[in-house]
Amino acid sequence: MVRESRSEVLRGTIDLLVLKTLALEPTHGWGIGQRIEQISAGELLVQQGSLYPALQRLEHAGLIASEWGPSESNRRARYYSLTRAGRRALEQETESWRRFAAAVEVVLETS
Amino acid sequence: MSRMKGVRARLSAILRPRAAEARMEEEFHFHLEMEIDKNLRAGMTPAAARRRALIAFGGLDGHREAMRDGRGALLAGDLGRDLRVALRGLARNPGFAAVAVLTIGVGVGATTAVFSAVDAALLRPLPFAEPDRLVELDKVNIPWQGEERPTDRPHITDVRALTDTFTHVAAYAPGGMNLSGLGTPRRIRVGVVTPNLFATLGVPPLLGRDLTADDEVPGAPRVALVSFGLWRGAMGADLDIAGRTIMLHGHTHEVVGVMPRGFAFPDEAEVWVPMSVPWTPDLFDAFRGSIPKRLVARLASGVTVEQAGARLRALLAAYDERPDRPVEATPAELVRPLHASLVGDGGSALLVLLGATALVLLVACTNVANLLLSRAVARRHEIALRAMLGASSFRLIRQLLAESILLALIGGAAGVAIAVMGAQLLDTLVPSALSGAAPIRVDTRVLGFALAVAVTAGLAFGLWPALAARRTRAVGALEGGGGGSGGDNATSRLRRIFVVAEVALALMLLIGASLMLRSLHRLLSTESGVQPQGIATLELTLAEADYPTAADRRQFYEALQDRLRRNPVVEAVAAINELPLRGVAPRALWVYPEGLMPERERWRAAQELRVTPDYFRAMGICILEGRPPGPRPAGTEVGEVAINEMLADVYWPGQSPIGARLQMPNDMVWEVVGVVSNVRPGSLDEAVIPQAYYSLLDAPYDNAALVARGRIPAAELTGVLQQAVHAVAPGQAVYNVRTMEEVIAGAIAPRRTRTALITTFGLVALCLAAVGVYGVIAFGVARRTREIGIRLALGANPGRVIGGVVAEGLVLALAGTVPGLAGAWLLSRFLDSFVYGITTTDPIAFTAAPVALLAIATLAALVPAWRASRVNAVEAMRVG
Repeated sequence: MVRESRSEVLRGTIDLLVLKTLALEPTHGWGIGQRIEQISAGELLVQQGSLYPALQRLEHAGLIASEWGPSESNRRARYYSLTRAGRRALEQETESWRRFAAAVEVVLETS
Repeated sequence: MSRMKGVRARLSAILRPRAAEARMEEEFHFHLEMEIDKNLRAGMTPAAARRRALIAFGGLDGHREAMRDGRGALLAGDLGRDLRVALRGLARNPGFAAVAVLTIGVGVGATTAVFSAVDAALLRPLPFAEPDRLVELDKVNIPWQGEERPTDRPHITDVRALTDTFTHVAAYAPGGMNLSGLGTPRRIRVGVVTPNLFATLGVPPLLGRDLTADDEVPGAPRVALVSFGLWRGAMGADLDIAGRTIMLHGHTHEVVGVMPRGFAFPDEAEVWVPMSVPWTPDLFDAFRGSIPKRLVARLASGVTVEQAGARLRALLAAYDERPDRPVEATPAELVRPLHASLVGDGGSALLVLLGATALVLLVACTNVANLLLSRAVARRHEIALRAMLGASSFRLIRQLLAESILLALIGGAAGVAIAVMGAQLLDTLVPSALSGAAPIRVDTRVLGFALAVAVTAGLAFGLWPALAARRTRAVGALEGGGGGSGGDNATSRLRRIFVVAEVALALMLLIGASLMLRSLHRLLSTESGVQPQGIATLELTLAEADYPTAADRRQFYEALQDRLRRNPVVEAVAAINELPLRGVAPRALWVYPEGLMPERERWRAAQELRVTPDYFRAMGICILEGRPPGPRPAGTEVGEVAINEMLADVYWPGQSPIGARLQMPNDMVWEVVGVVSNVRPGSLDEAVIPQAYYSLLDAPYDNAALVARGRIPAAELTGVLQQAVHAVAPGQAVYNVRTMEEVIAGAIAPRRTRTALITTFGLVALCLAAVGVYGVIAFGVARRTREIGIRLALGANPGRVIGGVVAEGLVLALAGTVPGLAGAWLLSRFLDSFVYGITTTDPIAFTAAPVALLAIATLAALVPAWRASRVNAVEAMRVG
């Protein structure tokens, strides 16, 4: 994945969510936040501003690409999309996450 | 492919920061607008919608920072911010900043000052056109007019014929003449040069014309070129120099040109006159005895130095008197690059000094590193807090490094100031042949060097503490006691290692300083043969135009001595053709006892000294037998001579030479009337040679020195001498007006400067090392305040506490002494040319220096030790 530092889990999760969101359809930063909120039915509230550093990180890592485009309200917005590397990373990290979640589940069951 | 896109995106963000910022702002703006729209649609008021949107977004600035951080730390804005924060941090701790800046300033200043001398002498190319094509030629003669052509050496004309090897061949000789007609008469340095010298060097005159071949014809009207300084000063910088004249040695010279600003080759010349080839006798006006000519040539294109050397050697071989004997000189000795030739041996001395300054710089850096380390430890709370609030470790290191670099730059500026002041003092270190062509300047190259040194030093001493601070564990740092104490064992050990290194380096410098001080002491206590205290001297040259005959000159000397003898403050006054101990090589002539003429291999050459009778009394030279030489009595061909001990021992061992006769190859005869003690000829470190004192009045030379011993201090006496000359001959220029002690000191000036420098370095390093020891010991004591307090409360002897702490300090110092001694032992061979009278591993120096160092280290440890013994137990326990 992208370069990790202290809050690994937290950061990794945002990246995963962003990649997944963009896999469905390219959109702009605001749109990503809204979609995650919608799809998770309000469970996951991403802190809006901290999306952008994540987007920058993913872009520098080559997992997403961006370009200017017109928004719904005809304003200029920066649209992000998945690259091929991004798609591969999404598959790997989804797999990884599922194994992790399953393992935690097992530990919780055994008490 | 995607990776490439990513790298491109990253690069673009770094290289075009403004575009990246603009994009970020636009994206944020868009985001907020969308959020506000959403809130409006949900029915909020515009104000509420905006407020809610901002809250939901979170801290704008924080996100901006995070984005900028992610883009990379190379942005100038970030570095500027770091420097400003660093500046504020230093302003809050002025004491620490002052000590650090001063320490760095000393280190950088010393290194830069010596580097400026190295730059002037060795690195900067000579200020001529294509200076690497200029060479000096050896073993080439310039003939005298009318002289039969000798057959053992080539002439300059022959070398000039080698047009395929040299495009120009010129000669120059640095001399001196009396300048009059422009204010008070004074002695001026003259370059006697062949007319093509400036063309050879590639430096055309600024105004007027160059010398031409017409000017060197004997009998041609006398012309001269003047320096920029002389033109500006004495001729008012008048652009029209037509018809201007100057008087040199009583002759009028027309000024035909002005040399460019800064040109003073050779030997800080201010005037240049043409040298005729072949030489004519009036050439001697500018010289005493021999003409110190040097030949310089410009290589033809495509010719290397080696090829030119081979060519000249072939020419030499064609001239050799004995064809069966091979030519002794090698091509490399015959043709040498001009720069190297002028530097001579002086270069290595400068490099040794540069090495010494490097040591001082290292000690200074180590000291500052220690300071920064303690400071980093004291600030570990702040650093830990920053780390927890999200600062990346790269950011933290960058911040700490910014502080170090800022300190280094400020210290570097202070250092440059020190270097500029010190540069003038180092003039004596530049080899004398280069003076005039290579003045010491603090120019852009030297400044660039200073900057490089400062920045490297800043990184070097900043990196350790920065890395050490980073390793501080956050949790441990935030809890636990007071500001200054603590720090983990690794830091403490690092500090001790630093101090041990400082002590070792300081010891090396101290040993070097001891060696040089002992050498200087040996030199100064060398028996010179004269009693210099209280003697005043001056030198003068009588121009032929003013004193055409020997009788005129004799009359001048007699009148001068008479006048001075009548002055009550003068005890003894005399004249001599060549002052001893003034750093100039002596001239010697063959003399032998009558009857020894056939045995040429037993002949010895004795220095030819011409004196008036009171000379020995004035100079305090012991007359061992007989009396001083007087003028030749009328009616006899035999003159009088007094010889020195050495000459007496050579020719008349074990017996008195009084009454014996000495002869010269030209058949002149003298009777020995006295024996005097030896006087060192040129300089204190030269060997004694045979000397013969003849009467000056028999052959009154035009170049002479006046010496006098008086009842007033020597410095005042020089004024008396000057006034006397002025009274007897108002237009007579005098020079080198100084006391005999100054003469002796002047001859050894380079050695003294070097000694002074290295001693200063040694003392500075010693101070810094002492401060280092103090710091570490005090630190340790502060850490163990509680423990010490308890021990004292329980009845421990304060003396033992002191002893324990001092012992700690001694251990540190001893640990540094061992590598210091080893290092000094290994490096001492570089001081070979510096020492006099002792070996480079002189045992006294190698014991005195460590003893001094250990004593100072003990003192340095004593202060915190004493404070430790006074720790109040109750206070100590409360602190914990």
